[in-house]
Amino acid sequence: MLPILSLIVLIPILFSAVTFFTKTKEQARISALVGTLITLVLTMYMYFSFDSTSAAMQFEEAANWIPSLGITYHLGVDGVSMPLILLNAIVIPLLIIYTWNDVRAAPNRFYALILAMQGAVIGVFISLDFFLFYVFWELTLVPLFFMVNIWGGAKKKHAAIKFFIYTHVASLVMLLGIFGLYYNAWSLNGVPNMDMAYLIGQFQFLESEIARDAIFLALLFGFIVKTPVVPFHSWLPDAYSEAPTAGSVLFILLKIGGYGLFRVMLPMLPFTATPSLMITIMGALGAISIIYGAFLALAQKDLKRMIAYSSISHMGYVTLGAAGLVSLSISGAMFQQFSHGLIMSIMFMSCGVIQTKTGTSIINNLGGLAQKMPKLTVIMVLGFMASLGLPGLTGFIAEFLVLTFSFINLPIYVMIALLAIVITAAYHLWALQRAMFGPFNEKLGDIVDISSLQTFSMGIIALLVLYFGLNPSPVLDMMITNSEHIVSLMAVMGV
Amino acid sequence: MVDLMLLAPEITILVTGLIVLLAGLFLSAQSKKILGYIATLGCLVAMLLTISSFGTTAVMFSNSLSIDALSQFFKIVFLTVTTLVCIASVKYTDGNDHADEYYVLVLFATIGMMMVASANDLMVLFVAFELASLATYALAGFEKKNPASIEASMKYFIIGSLSAALLLLGIGYVYGATGTTNIEGIAQNIDLLLNSPMGILSLVLLIAGFGFKIALVPFHMWAPDTYQGAPSLVSALLAAGSKKMGIIAAFKVFIGALIALQADWQIAFAILAVLTMTYGNIVALSQTSVKRMLAYSSLAQAGYITMAFVVMTPMALTGGILYALSHGFMKAGAFIATAAVVYMVTSENKDILNADHLDNFKGLGRRMPITALSMTVFVFALSGIPPTAGYMSKFILFSSTIQSGLVWLAVIAILNSALSLYYYARVVRYMYAKPTVGDRVSEPLPYVVALLLAVAGVLVIGIWPEPFVNMAMEAASVLI
Repeated sequence: MLPILSLIVLIPILFSAVTFFTKTKEQARISALVGTLITLVLTMYMYFSFDSTSAAMQFEEAANWIPSLGITYHLGVDGVSMPLILLNAIVIPLLIIYTWNDVRAAPNRFYALILAMQGAVIGVFISLDFFLFYVFWELTLVPLFFMVNIWGGAKKKHAAIKFFIYTHVASLVMLLGIFGLYYNAWSLNGVPNMDMAYLIGQFQFLESEIARDAIFLALLFGFIVKTPVVPFHSWLPDAYSEAPTAGSVLFILLKIGGYGLFRVMLPMLPFTATPSLMITIMGALGAISIIYGAFLALAQKDLKRMIAYSSISHMGYVTLGAAGLVSLSISGAMFQQFSHGLIMSIMFMSCGVIQTKTGTSIINNLGGLAQKMPKLTVIMVLGFMASLGLPGLTGFIAEFLVLTFSFINLPIYVMIALLAIVITAAYHLWALQRAMFGPFNEKLGDIVDISSLQTFSMGIIALLVLYFGLNPSPVLDMMITNSEHIVSLMAVMGV
Repeated sequence: MVDLMLLAPEITILVTGLIVLLAGLFLSAQSKKILGYIATLGCLVAMLLTISSFGTTAVMFSNSLSIDALSQFFKIVFLTVTTLVCIASVKYTDGNDHADEYYVLVLFATIGMMMVASANDLMVLFVAFELASLATYALAGFEKKNPASIEASMKYFIIGSLSAALLLLGIGYVYGATGTTNIEGIAQNIDLLLNSPMGILSLVLLIAGFGFKIALVPFHMWAPDTYQGAPSLVSALLAAGSKKMGIIAAFKVFIGALIALQADWQIAFAILAVLTMTYGNIVALSQTSVKRMLAYSSLAQAGYITMAFVVMTPMALTGGILYALSHGFMKAGAFIATAAVVYMVTSENKDILNADHLDNFKGLGRRMPITALSMTVFVFALSGIPPTAGYMSKFILFSSTIQSGLVWLAVIAILNSALSLYYYARVVRYMYAKPTVGDRVSEPLPYVVALLLAVAGVLVIGIWPEPFVNMAMEAASVLI
């Protein structure tokens, strides 16, 4: 049996090193593409041999790593992580094709960072040992820091360091929570063990109620800053909008915060001293993010910042759905992560094209681009429609599931979130209208449409948005299997 | 009958030092390059001897030296640092007529540090301490035409002598009360010190004496000036090696001999640890000289290691001891990288004054790719980003703090660790995101070898820490 999980982490990292030492742009992009395509093939193989009716871990690998501290090299996938790995494996090769003809300094480093990022993110999704999880979790910071810092926009220095330190502090707080879990289990059972499932299972035996709540909140903080959730979102607009297009897409694919909610927080939730308070916190933060992000998006002058704020609004659905605690609301939240990754990739790629072709992303300086860029317009409109939740596209399914099924437990927060739907439609349509339609702004000069490679890569993602919008079951089934499993564990506790 | 083989590492270093000293008399300035290789070889042999005998325990010379896992672990730390420094120095001392003196001083300082690690008697400890100190005073002033180097040496010498006097006075009080200078003897007769004002007095003097060497705030005043003014490779030896000598000595004296006074010194170390890490990190934020920044970061790192005294569980001591080794690699590496930059800058322009200014790191990623990449690994390791040695050590040390319920201390340490990321990341930003000034330069081989070895050390401890953790645990079990 092939150690397939190790391979899908090692291959991007290995190719990252190879790419780093290439001399020309040609070699760099080919090496990067080959690396990501191998990863894609392996991931597809894994996906097709994946049993979506089982909530158990599959393709597990385990080996001792640091026995004296109970740390193991333990990998596995289930329905929570599989779709996210798939998302990364599909979008990153397309991202490389999208940037194929870009002109930029040091292409070897650029592609090496993209590959390193892919390895680190997939590593987070497949780690079943807290130590390994944290190692990959922190490693995701480094490529993005360089990405923003080297190829970013005008305020890149500020954005990069703010993102780096803000999320690093959150990770450290999370690490404190992990220490709490670790030593709790150690003192109870006399042996150190960093295994995630084991530590989460031992959480309930911690006697002190304050300690249980403190550990839960510390971990929650780490995850929701990364997600991000209002009011811990302020690193995001700067980082997303100052990053180069590829960097913004990598940020979008960094779904580790939401993933942590499903993998770690939900199984622990029933055993906190005050579960209802924790549900209230998560639900309220989710609802606030949805509406606050939407209002801020409406107020943005810059297209890229608008997309960044819309991302905050959309990630609110993930937190809200997770707090909904019904299997279908949780599945909806998981599906929102997957769908959001695809949709936002289209939106950032479109915005990136507009920025390079016209030299600006200020919405009012654009206008009538549809006349000059018909291909872009088709794809971009599809992305925007999916983002505002048009039925038939992925965004609708996710938001429908979250709102409908969270209503059972959290009616008030759903009512608040519903208000945002109108605003969401408004800012998407208004931005499209001003930027793409109407009379062409002659000041922009002569503009050509997107290249065929860019059409290809964005087109594939657009088709996926349509496909999974019409037929979500290839990924939704496994999400439902796992969320039912999570909920059944909670039902045992009578929450 | 004393088995001298137990002292084989020290003897090897001593013989190497004498060979270098003698050979230096007959060699011309150009051929003194070979002395660097001899010194490196001697250190490597000593290191192999230490590693191969790891775990043997023995007491020698009427109980004045003890060989155990703890002393051997620290010997490995010192030898690692010295080896790295010696390799990199081959280029630094190239063509210098005083190369022989340089290597002799480095080797003798190393013997001093190694003897401190083995000392089981306060007199031996003090003599060895002074042997290492005197050699490093001279080394700090090695560039005798450079006023900054002379100033560094003077400051270090004067303050170092003062601290030695305090230390000796402290030892004197301990001896006066307990009637012995043997560490175990003191621990047995501690009742005589426990209820007398002399106990507190000697504690204050000893903490101040060691505090100077470890550069704990407020005894740190000499460190930034000395690290900045001294030749970068000597700073590497001071920050990565000599500082650990203070730590092992403090381990021996406070945990070995004065454990009964724990309640008194633990609170003092808690305050010193918090002060040191916070002050070091905050002041490092605004530094534009990389060496000075590394000096303040070195303060902060010493503050973290000092947490081991406050927590005092086997886990915390393991963390602190492992941190000493990791810090040896990280900090020596960072100073060697800086030395390579200083070498590059001064070979372009002889009269430049602040060769280690952050501006000289601009675009280093293109000018000196290997140096820049290694420096990136070192600063990320120092800030505790996985999978590096720095992360592994912080992981054990900080988590042990949580284990023993000192959550406030862990929170302060973690906030500090996050704060430090700002100035470390700034160096990386200068190297990679700033426009390049000047052409690509060829990096001298000795620096490259030393840097790559240090990078390998940082990554191996980070990725495969099991053997190192086990060794550190064994070393910690000697103390508790």
